[in-house]
Amino acid sequence: MNCLEFWNNLPLGGRDLTEEQAGHLAECGTCAAQWRPHRSLAAGLQSMGQEWRKLQAPPRLEAGLTAAFRSQAGFQVRRSMGHSWWTPVFAWTTTAAAMLALAVVLIRGYQPAPARPGTVAAPRHTAQPLMQTAVAASDADSDDDASVLGDGFIRLPNAPRIGPNEDYNLVRVEVPGSAMIAMGVSVGEDRATETVVADVALGPDGTARAVRLVSDGGTF
Amino acid sequence: MAHYSSQTDDELLFRLRNGDEQAFAVLYRRRHGAIYRFAMHMSGSPAAAEDITQEVFLALLRQECGYDRERGTLSGYLFGIARKLVLRNLERGRSDVPLETDTDEMAPRELAVIDDPLAGLTRHEAIEGLRRAVQALPRRYREVVVLCDLEELDYAETAVVLGCPIGTVRSRMHRARALLLEKLNQDRKPRLAVDAWKPMRCAI
Repeated sequence: MNCLEFWNNLPLGGRDLTEEQAGHLAECGTCAAQWRPHRSLAAGLQSMGQEWRKLQAPPRLEAGLTAAFRSQAGFQVRRSMGHSWWTPVFAWTTTAAAMLALAVVLIRGYQPAPARPGTVAAPRHTAQPLMQTAVAASDADSDDDASVLGDGFIRLPNAPRIGPNEDYNLVRVEVPGSAMIAMGVSVGEDRATETVVADVALGPDGTARAVRLVSDGGTF
Repeated sequence: MAHYSSQTDDELLFRLRNGDEQAFAVLYRRRHGAIYRFAMHMSGSPAAAEDITQEVFLALLRQECGYDRERGTLSGYLFGIARKLVLRNLERGRSDVPLETDTDEMAPRELAVIDDPLAGLTRHEAIEGLRRAVQALPRRYREVVVLCDLEELDYAETAVVLGCPIGTVRSRMHRARALLLEKLNQDRKPRLAVDAWKPMRCAI
């Protein structure tokens, strides 16, 4: 081992020399002389390290961090509760129920149409009384669905009215134009075979109560 | 608690991520001292060291903390955060007073001291002298001395903390020791700059 190799391969902390390094020191007086203060420094740093290892952060730091941990952990628990597995299941179930209820209502409303002879326009004529009935019913009440839900809503046949203090959900759906015609909503006879966008108001029990035509473009 | 103390840092981290307060307490007690001392040595201020230690462990509490066990130990990761905070603190406060400015490329100079710089001093005096000398080192040398010599991290772990090759850690370490010896020798034998004195003409 030469001098360069000795100094380039010093062990961590300058302690615990290998046999080869110790042998070099025995042979090389220059390196031995230069090594002496290094050894002393290494020992001094070791003592300093031991002395300083007694130094700890003040206890208030741990107290503060523990409080932060508790609030963080509490937040995580609340957040995990808020995003638990049943949330999306509940949302999808509600949506599916709403769609099913709407389909049932629309199919029931559309059933008389085939019984009547005529063109596509026929359902509109047959549906007119239904709508009138609904309007008449709502006229008979002190406040109609439009006052609660907004303009353009038509109450579905036989569906109970949504009260002013009653909760409801709005679902935007794409339905055949013919189905809207069957409920008395004018979407244009030429669009009877196309799909239109409608808002359906669902009562707190999940049943469809009223419907409103959003557009007749067939897309959201 | 005894059960927790036998667990690795990674196991404790996993537990604390799941809201286990005891795991956090054990991990904090195991690691905070070294982080606090490192911040203290580097900043020279107990208040800054306290702030930095707090920030390091708050970063650990965050779910999105970037610790990756594939890249190094948790201890190294904590030192890495502490180092970044120290640098920010030093930039803000400009409290870093380098002994001298030089580069890693400079070859280690021949040592001017042959005597034992700590000989004849009491333990307390030696440690105090060393502390001052370490504190006076330029930042890049001070951090390797603190990490390798005082906190006893190995070269590889120190290289990860500093984000540099092991060879750079070795060369900085060598240079740092040379500077420390020089500083200690100067403190021990304060030389009067007699040579710099020049006769002046009396104006009276």
